[in-house]
Amino acid sequence: MLNMIKFNWLPVNFHAVCGLTSLALVLSACAGYTPAPVSDREVETRVREPASTDSEGVQVFPLQNPAVKELLADAGSAETAGEYNQAAVLLERALRIQPRDPEILQQMAEVQLRKQDYEQALNFAVRSYDIGPRVGEICARNWRTISVSREHLGDRNGSVLAEQRATTCMNTKPRSL
Amino acid sequence: MSPVGRTFSSMKKGRKTIKAKKKTARKKTARKKTANKKNSARRNRSGKKTGMRWIGRIWRLALLFAGICLGLLIPWTAYLNHQVTTEFEGRKWDLPSRVYARALDLYPNAPITLKDLELELSIAGYRRKANASRPGLYSVSGSTLEIYRRSFRFHDGVEDALRFSISLQSAKVGRLRDVESRKTLDLVRLEPAEIAAIYPLQKEDRTLVKIKDVPPLLLTGLQAVEDRNFKHHPGVDVKGIARAALANLQAGRAVQGGSTLTQQLVKNYFLSDERTIARKVNEAIMALLLEFHYDKSEILEAYLNEVFLGQQGAYAVHGFGRASLYYFDRPLDRLEPQHIALLIGMVRGASYYNPRRHPERALKRRNQVLSAFETTGLLSIADARAAVASPLDVTEQARSRGTRYHAFVDLVRRQLAQVYREEDLKTEGLSIFTTLSPVDQEKAQKAVSDGLKRLQDRGLPAGLQAAMVLADTDSGEIRALVGDRNANRAGFNRALDARRQIGSVIKPLVYLLALEHEADYHLLTRIADRPLSLKLPDGSLWTPANYGKVSHGEVTLLEALTRSYNQATVRLGVNIGISHLLQKLEQLGVRADVQAVPSIFLGAVELTPLEVTQIYQSLAAGGYTVPLRSVIAVQTADGSELVRYPLRMMPLARREVIGVLNYAMTQVVQQGTAKALPGLLGKQTVIAGKTGTTNDRRDSWFVGYTRNRIAVAWVGKDDNRPAGVTGSNAAMRLWAGLFRELPIESLDLRLPDGATWLWVDRDSGALTAENCHGAFRVPFVDGSGPGELTDCLAKTRDDEQESFWRKWFGKKNQD
Repeated sequence: MLNMIKFNWLPVNFHAVCGLTSLALVLSACAGYTPAPVSDREVETRVREPASTDSEGVQVFPLQNPAVKELLADAGSAETAGEYNQAAVLLERALRIQPRDPEILQQMAEVQLRKQDYEQALNFAVRSYDIGPRVGEICARNWRTISVSREHLGDRNGSVLAEQRATTCMNTKPRSL
Repeated sequence: MSPVGRTFSSMKKGRKTIKAKKKTARKKTARKKTANKKNSARRNRSGKKTGMRWIGRIWRLALLFAGICLGLLIPWTAYLNHQVTTEFEGRKWDLPSRVYARALDLYPNAPITLKDLELELSIAGYRRKANASRPGLYSVSGSTLEIYRRSFRFHDGVEDALRFSISLQSAKVGRLRDVESRKTLDLVRLEPAEIAAIYPLQKEDRTLVKIKDVPPLLLTGLQAVEDRNFKHHPGVDVKGIARAALANLQAGRAVQGGSTLTQQLVKNYFLSDERTIARKVNEAIMALLLEFHYDKSEILEAYLNEVFLGQQGAYAVHGFGRASLYYFDRPLDRLEPQHIALLIGMVRGASYYNPRRHPERALKRRNQVLSAFETTGLLSIADARAAVASPLDVTEQARSRGTRYHAFVDLVRRQLAQVYREEDLKTEGLSIFTTLSPVDQEKAQKAVSDGLKRLQDRGLPAGLQAAMVLADTDSGEIRALVGDRNANRAGFNRALDARRQIGSVIKPLVYLLALEHEADYHLLTRIADRPLSLKLPDGSLWTPANYGKVSHGEVTLLEALTRSYNQATVRLGVNIGISHLLQKLEQLGVRADVQAVPSIFLGAVELTPLEVTQIYQSLAAGGYTVPLRSVIAVQTADGSELVRYPLRMMPLARREVIGVLNYAMTQVVQQGTAKALPGLLGKQTVIAGKTGTTNDRRDSWFVGYTRNRIAVAWVGKDDNRPAGVTGSNAAMRLWAGLFRELPIESLDLRLPDGATWLWVDRDSGALTAENCHGAFRVPFVDGSGPGELTDCLAKTRDDEQESFWRKWFGKKNQD
């Protein structure tokens, strides 16, 4: 049954995370690992703004269903108003209409980032990249979200790599799919 | 214990006390009597005075008796007072939880047919009329519908009533428009159907109403018919009693009751149904007390929710809110005068005036009430006449209170049982918002029920059973669940509880593991499909055979998987290792409790259809595991959120290998064991699938997925006896029966980073170019693939190189 379902998917070794953190935070308990304090504007300053710089000149404008557009706009307003749960509900509804829309998935990743659910932020961003254009602004936002999430999850190296990857979104040609 | 139950038991206790007290009182009187007798014997000489004395004695006796009664009455009243206040203030009805389907989103280009849209509407209780003039109705003209959506509360907010039109073109939504403002709409949500209710043990059904939401005509009309003096009497209406007595006397039988609404409420709420003087007295005292403590509107509101108005199977329909839905299938505030009149008329005898069973009686009673409305001025003469002329309007059948979707609701209960006690589900009036698509559920059930009948016509044994699970690939939301061939049978839920060997359905995982070793295997790697024997842990020898007892020699992985060759698969599995296969199962969300024996490579693992769906969901979504969900959110009775199950996804490692495997599974349908499927579907959609058959044809499985849907079907016998079924002769046919009716899209075969499509030669398997003869495209994990090139490719490469140099050199020289 459903309760039997276990997932072994975590990209991060939690023991390693705990080890590093306890070194840094002296004797703070592993179980109580709390994420570093985040500025409310992390999504703007560390994802959206740099991503628009990364991708100057390379833009992909996917055609969007007006219903999805409406939901994304509502989700954006909810996000601005600090109602992250409501934003996530609206994005989920948009995903029911277009489950494989990289923009919705990336916006969801950013909402998860604001909710400080870094695992889900990472996962949605990876998904968005997998099925997205892998180029342009959205690609840069994908990698920057991945970078920030990995950092919060304690994967310093992975975070740096992801940030480097973000800057190549501009010159990487879309792969033949 | 339930509040009402508590009331009854304490009342019984109360009754015992009163009897005991009466006994002591009687004893005391008896003692007095003996004393009096002695006195009278002494004083019996003067006869004249005797009569006077007797009168005096009787008087004194009466006084004494009255005193005793009063002395008892005061504590008794105090006791009743306590009862009334505590019970009335702490009153809390057990409310059933209601289970809702998903709300259908309509937007331009949403795939839906007119037939499906009408079915969706009818399951949600919408009725087709010539004119969609009020909420809950819709009209159809050509391929355009006008729908008057009711206002409803959903898990993410309240949707207002909306009258809109929707045009359909070639099985898609064309245009949506607000009928009033004429504005184009981008997105409209339909009201979700109520698919089930989870009832309290007490077997009472109720939809609570607030007095401010009750139509004024119901409030005034109820008083006009049942208790004209309600506003003024103190709980008991002496004039009313007198009037009733007179009327009854004149008629020679009981035609009127003198009970006030307050008394009726007290009777319903606190007392049993017995007809004794004691009960009448209690009723009166309690009514007076109730009126003393609470104002009229509180009492009336309680009455509106408590009054008994019918019986639906084992469940008592209480209150006007529920009765309105039960008889008219619409909320109270949508009732018209004649409907209100009928419900008020039924207060006198809900069974006697049952409009479904005794329509003539009910009509007569309704019209009596309407004429009372008219004489009291509540309705104008014209309105009253129109109402009298209108039909009863009761829906033919109450919307089924139980559910046709037993298997799905069972899953919902189990998912919630992890968070709630069953008792809370039954009494707290929760709203449970689920993922079910009623239309898909109907289609799935039909595919199973009709499909099994057809299998029997084709010569398969009678008494086969089946299960089916349908889910959205990317959201993991379960859209339909079938646990029995008979829709109306609840009980053994095969989709969740039939643990059966999965046979060849396991094979794709063996190939997935092989392809993860990209240095050793790709889809065109050749392996031997030849007889082999393996020593089992118990020392015996296991010799797997192929279907048809034929071995095929050297075959590619792709062929071995698509044609489901056993010997090749076992050989591959042995190279990979049993433990890796078990790990893979666990990684995909299923912990199988099995012995590590090589027959696992051929599916000697017992899993339920739901578990198989979970495994393949991950693959179908391109390597993202999303836990299968049946519940999205739960709200309390007042609309606040209790729990939400949001979308969560977990990427698996090596998603590029899953991309390659998905292609191989489309070839099962294109040219392998499921190649009859496109014909059965009548569509050329790209579908990935796998058939499964177990030893002696006991089980038939089919797993299949498109871009947006995944479904698993199982067919077999409950007693696990040979059933003559194979994956393609049974389960696949049921699967096809469902997907024929669904809007489906071709599987997305784009590959993630780390895998690439290459052109290969059909005969040699060597790399080739697109324009070469016999070229076909196969995906390879980067770092794997055929080493050789065809001559054709070598030549093409030379040409390309030449043109490359020409292009760049030529260009440079020109500059």
